[in-house]
Amino acid sequence: MINIPKKPAPTYLVTIGIPAAMLFTIFSFRRIGFNLQDFKENLANRAIVTDPLFNPKWQWAWENTADALLETVQIAILASIVGCAVALPLAFYASRATNLNKYSYFLYKSFLNLIRTIPDLFWAMLFTVAVGIGPFAGVLALIMFSLAIMGKLLSETIDSIDPGPMEAAKATGSSHNQSVFTSALPQVLPNYTAYFLYIFELCIRASVILGLVGAGGVGRIIETQRIFLRFDRISPIIVIILVVVILIEQFSVWIRRKII
Amino acid sequence: MKIPQQPISQRILKYSLTTLIIIGSLWSAAGLEITLERILDAPRQIGILVGAMFPLDLSQEAFDRIIPKVFESLFIAWAGTVIGAIFSFPVSFLAAQNVAVGIVSRATKQILNAIRAFPELILAFVFLPITGLGPFTGTLAVGIHSIGTLGKLSSEVIEGIDEGPLEAIKSSGGSKLNELSFGVIPQVMPTITSYWLYRFEINLRASAVLGVVGAGGVGQELINQLRFRDFPRAGTVLICTIILVLTADTISAAIRNRIIKGKVVKS
Repeated sequence: MINIPKKPAPTYLVTIGIPAAMLFTIFSFRRIGFNLQDFKENLANRAIVTDPLFNPKWQWAWENTADALLETVQIAILASIVGCAVALPLAFYASRATNLNKYSYFLYKSFLNLIRTIPDLFWAMLFTVAVGIGPFAGVLALIMFSLAIMGKLLSETIDSIDPGPMEAAKATGSSHNQSVFTSALPQVLPNYTAYFLYIFELCIRASVILGLVGAGGVGRIIETQRIFLRFDRISPIIVIILVVVILIEQFSVWIRRKII
Repeated sequence: MKIPQQPISQRILKYSLTTLIIIGSLWSAAGLEITLERILDAPRQIGILVGAMFPLDLSQEAFDRIIPKVFESLFIAWAGTVIGAIFSFPVSFLAAQNVAVGIVSRATKQILNAIRAFPELILAFVFLPITGLGPFTGTLAVGIHSIGTLGKLSSEVIEGIDEGPLEAIKSSGGSKLNELSFGVIPQVMPTITSYWLYRFEINLRASAVLGVVGAGGVGQELINQLRFRDFPRAGTVLICTIILVLTADTISAAIRNRIIKGKVVKS
């Protein structure tokens, strides 16, 4: 007789969580007005969009997007560099391994969490109101965006460093700050570089849409054409953006391989 | 005492990267016409805006307008995630190298990459003339983008499984379908479920933004209040969004933690 082990009883997470998630799903779909009948009818007049969308005006796009595209790339470069530079000290303060003060650790950690909850385009809207329409607002918005991501990623990396070198530095008589500089910082620098390149890619993607709220870059041109439903002009712009984004990502992957 | 030096090639790499970064930022700043005085003036200007938001507009009328919009963002994010999860799950098996045939896997991966390349906002305004102004358009945009990202992540999870259980099923005479349902799915389900929740957190931020083009959610409310220069109410919108995102993040992170680490056994 084989003794088949009994399956453990399902936990509360399963017995309550899954039905609750299903109910919430049905409720959500009702609230957003999902209706298959309407959707089919609407799909019938897709020609308004799809005809011009697949009929791109390349000539127009080449002539009008080059400057804005350059602006987009410049916004992403500047914002990711400044954002990551600001995040470096903040991340050390927001990690339990390097910040000995419990209260200031909590403060810095909450500050980074708070920044992270606000979406990138909300930052852009706020900064266009504060400093005026233009690429400067976009740069500030993406600085907050990259600061939030780098702060979280790097502080979690610092949390998990090997404490040995720091103890060794302290044993030779160095102060806490000295031990952080000589032992904790070199340990996370390779990760820092990798995160920086990752955030740079994210910024390139994010900076494309900043122009929709007036924060500079190629989104500005998309926005004006979008209002007039000129999808024949938008589709080549989108394709050009995609090509540029992919090229930059390949470049960043190449650098990452070179460094690490 | 002789201190070991860094090899020369590494030093060259280090210095050239540093120059590249400095030149890159200076070039960008010059191209964007960002001057020192604008940077120095920015904190004051931001201070004025923040000052104008307080005291927040806490009137009943404001809440009656804002709260439904905030929840609409939540519904868009959840429904979009469900769409993404349902469609990406079968697709991820097709994209995984160790489950599907080589050509199918490579083709599916390319399709997923192509979907992923379009930001939600661009999808949203392309759908807008077809499905109309409203949360449904936003859900569609969020859902389709999620198919791309979730499909990629899930297929990578499937590629990383332990082959042992599959061999055991094969050797006891199980079919290919048995292998999938008893070998692959139990192994990948916890990680994939936690990715779904993680995507929900990201989608919540994305759906908050979608209102900018009129695809439903709280973004519409924020941009309107900022345009009408009603800063106290804009502040309320912002605070409500932050509270929603923080709450959803905390709950979702707790569930993800429980799924990945398992039940805490009290000893």
